Amino acid sequence: MIELHLTILAITALIGLTFSYLAITEKDLLKAVAYSAVQAIAYAIIFYLLMAPDIVLAYVAIAVGIYSALLVFIIGKTERYEVV
Amino acid sequence: MKRLIGLIIILTITLGVAYYVSQNLTPQKSLHPLGKFYLKNSYFGDYSAKSPEAVTSIVWDYRGLDTLFETAVFFIAIIGSLTLFRLSKEQSEEAKQGEPKRELPEPVCAVTKIIVAMILAVSASIALHGQLTPGGGFQGGSALAVAPLLIIAAYSKYALEKNGLDKTRAIIIRSIGLLGIALTALTPLLVKGYFMQNQPIFPGKALGAPLGGSLVYYNLFEYLAVGAGFTAVFLLLSIPEEKFRKFLGVKQ
Repeated sequence: MIELHLTILAITALIGLTFSYLAITEKDLLKAVAYSAVQAIAYAIIFYLLMAPDIVLAYVAIAVGIYSALLVFIIGKTERYEVV
Repeated sequence: MKRLIGLIIILTITLGVAYYVSQNLTPQKSLHPLGKFYLKNSYFGDYSAKSPEAVTSIVWDYRGLDTLFETAVFFIAIIGSLTLFRLSKEQSEEAKQGEPKRELPEPVCAVTKIIVAMILAVSASIALHGQLTPGGGFQGGSALAVAPLLIIAAYSKYALEKNGLDKTRAIIIRSIGLLGIALTALTPLLVKGYFMQNQPIFPGKALGAPLGGSLVYYNLFEYLAVGAGFTAVFLLLSIPEEKFRKFLGVKQ
């Protein structure tokens, strides 16, 4: 059983890493917010597997809901594409 | 293509480091003595918080002062954003003028209504069950804040304000929450206890349900403070950009 947990842990950690990399390098900021939300879901699964349900409850609401919405509001006040 | 190469390099380094570290790890065989103390005492021991949920008893009882200061930090953050968006009386009246029309198709709005009701129920159960099951005031409050956010997204902020939840009311609810936390923390001083004391001053049980002494009050007030604080900030953030340009006198 512990092997299954560790395998899911490794896979979700890699998904989280991949999506945070995508969020950083993405030029379309709305897409970047979506990538960051996927990363947050992966991390929420990690917290659950590490037996921290208190953190999961706060993290899901904040990182997936509030944080993404806050960034969408802020992107709405500037421009959608990042220009270097 | 360049992104893909960067991603492959990062994944390789991470996997390499993880493999190297995993060779030299020794698993922990015993509990930390402090952890043992909390597990023994949170419900049954001599220093009981009368709560079967060890995390909540640490958050609001054994390490209560830390949480009190965290709440203060959150309070200051909200005050900071309210100060950034300060408007005069006429301006805040003008910011409320607008049509609460549907911005999204009908099915989305219908689903939003159901989900908002469900979120309210779930967030209340997270917060008020905090002394029995995982969860607590902050977790419940941040789940509560998602409900007005969904209404703003599906119907626009005017719908929320027309139905009575405007910025002033949100700030009032938040102040009630903070005042409640402060009063609950000060209550033990009346009966010669010390600041933020829990047992034996607060009743441990009511109607057969464990209350965890003061934990249930702290959770309830934190729930109100966090939920309403986030709502106030969202109401300010969702004022359209054109209105802000007009208030500030910025030319396009």
